[in-house]
Amino acid sequence: MNQPAAWSRLVSAEVMKLRTTTAWWLFVGGFTVVTALAVGLNCVGQHYALFPQTDAFDRAQKLTEAAADRTPAGAAAMAASLMTSGQTLTVLFALLLGSYVVTSEYVNRTVTTTFLTVPHRGRIIAAKLAAATSFGALFWLIATVVNAVVTPVFLSSQHLSVPLTAAVVTRSVALSLPAFALWAAFGLGLGAVIRSQAVAIVVGLVCFVGGFAAVAAVSQLVYDAVHQDWLFSARVIAPAVASQVMITSGRAFPHAPPQWVGAVIMAGYGLALTAAGIIQTRRRDVT
Amino acid sequence: MVVALGVIALGFLVWLVRRERGGQAGDASGVEVTPELSALAWEPKRIPPDELPLGRVVVSGLTKQYGQVKAVDDVSFTAEPGRVTGFLGPNGAGKTTTLRMLLGLAAPTSGEATIGGTRYAALAEPALRVGAVLEANGAHEGRTGRDHLRVICRTTGLPLERADEVLSAVGLGDAANRLVRAYSLGMRQRLGVAAALLADPQVLVLDEPGNGLDPRGIRWIRELLRSQAAAGRTVLVSSHLLAEMEQLADDLVIIAGGRVVATGTVASVTGGRPSLEAAFLELTAGEDTIR
Repeated sequence: MNQPAAWSRLVSAEVMKLRTTTAWWLFVGGFTVVTALAVGLNCVGQHYALFPQTDAFDRAQKLTEAAADRTPAGAAAMAASLMTSGQTLTVLFALLLGSYVVTSEYVNRTVTTTFLTVPHRGRIIAAKLAAATSFGALFWLIATVVNAVVTPVFLSSQHLSVPLTAAVVTRSVALSLPAFALWAAFGLGLGAVIRSQAVAIVVGLVCFVGGFAAVAAVSQLVYDAVHQDWLFSARVIAPAVASQVMITSGRAFPHAPPQWVGAVIMAGYGLALTAAGIIQTRRRDVT
Repeated sequence: MVVALGVIALGFLVWLVRRERGGQAGDASGVEVTPELSALAWEPKRIPPDELPLGRVVVSGLTKQYGQVKAVDDVSFTAEPGRVTGFLGPNGAGKTTTLRMLLGLAAPTSGEATIGGTRYAALAEPALRVGAVLEANGAHEGRTGRDHLRVICRTTGLPLERADEVLSAVGLGDAANRLVRAYSLGMRQRLGVAAALLADPQVLVLDEPGNGLDPRGIRWIRELLRSQAAAGRTVLVSSHLLAEMEQLADDLVIIAGGRVVATGTVASVTGGRPSLEAAFLELTAGEDTIR
């Protein structure tokens, strides 16, 4: 009797909240369409890489690259790219969905009902974190299914035979799972801290798109002054860079730290923002 | 390729934000239905005498200060089980703030409010013990009335079918699968009441439940609340509709300017004056209506 609302009920209620609004179909439909488009465009690009246009001014170089693409290693890399088509951009859906899960409660003023039903606000935010990361994983699943349908068809049409179970391919696909989950967590934490849907989306987009360029510019400026190589490694503190480092086998850029550092930093952002969101949510009055 | 995807993602985003905004505006442009008026579809279960004290609502010394303004100033009263307690006051008197503190949505500056001796947030299963209707907009515009209730059922562990039972009990059976966006204000109030009744709780707290209801609806809610109190439940209901309160309440708490100015039975508060209205206007005289 003296038990607070069961954890599993809270998470499944959060899933239900999202699934019972039209936003759900928007997210899933939008994501599927964009992913299909991305893999389609990727196929077109890869086709022209394999068969350079005859009037290309650098045709000789293109033909050399095409030959490299046809080696087993080159073909495997191509398959890996196809299997993760557009994901540097489509993880944005996870970020948006994460912040939507919290901010929609404030926009739609359902937060009163939510906190009346369960006054343990920290548990609600934690349940939302669990739901958001699960939805991130669902995006990954959808993307992987769409890509897994298109990729073999394309590869065989180009007379390449690459097993999708090749290590390079499976590693790329596996690494994008944490990317989706962690961007969803990032968005959720951001939403919990900011509460305003419009502001959370803008800040999320700035972190996502602008972060890379801003950090690169700053680290370059400081490097010009002090000439320390670690400044380049330090770029990983930007979420967009951390994500890039995490999903790139080998080095994402010169002096890039190892992959696990990117993963730890992304997870750190998600957890720190969520913790800050919980503290704020518990303190503030619901109006 | 990145540019093309970016444009699509951005378009999606703009659309999503605009849609959310539209949902917030939420004018009830949908078709109005006059729901079938029914008494509750079930006979309210009587609260056993030994459990009655668990329903006592005690507010003691509750104060809420915003900057220099005391919105609620040392408010104390008790809402007894088996009785309807009317919480009266002019607009801006602090009724809603008091109820929000009682329900753990706002933190008091000082003082305490308890239900059966325990703060709301410290109750084991508050949503099963206390049903509350705070605002007519506590439901997502883009969700159906049924789904709104089912989410609450899922959270509290009640069977999902309970949503349908309660919806037909409040006369929204036919509108169950319609989006809340299309509900009239009266239907929203009914949905709020339905949410409060989901767990058949021992304590009901309602903030201005008569708002937006037509005369039939007002009579319905009066009969509903009276029957709940008759079965041993504690009913605390705020309003500024005096004539309605005179018929509904057993006890009254009148606040003005954040302070309690009168408590007692309807008869004792009215005193020798010709009507509750006369008493109310006299007791709340000199208080700004807008604070």
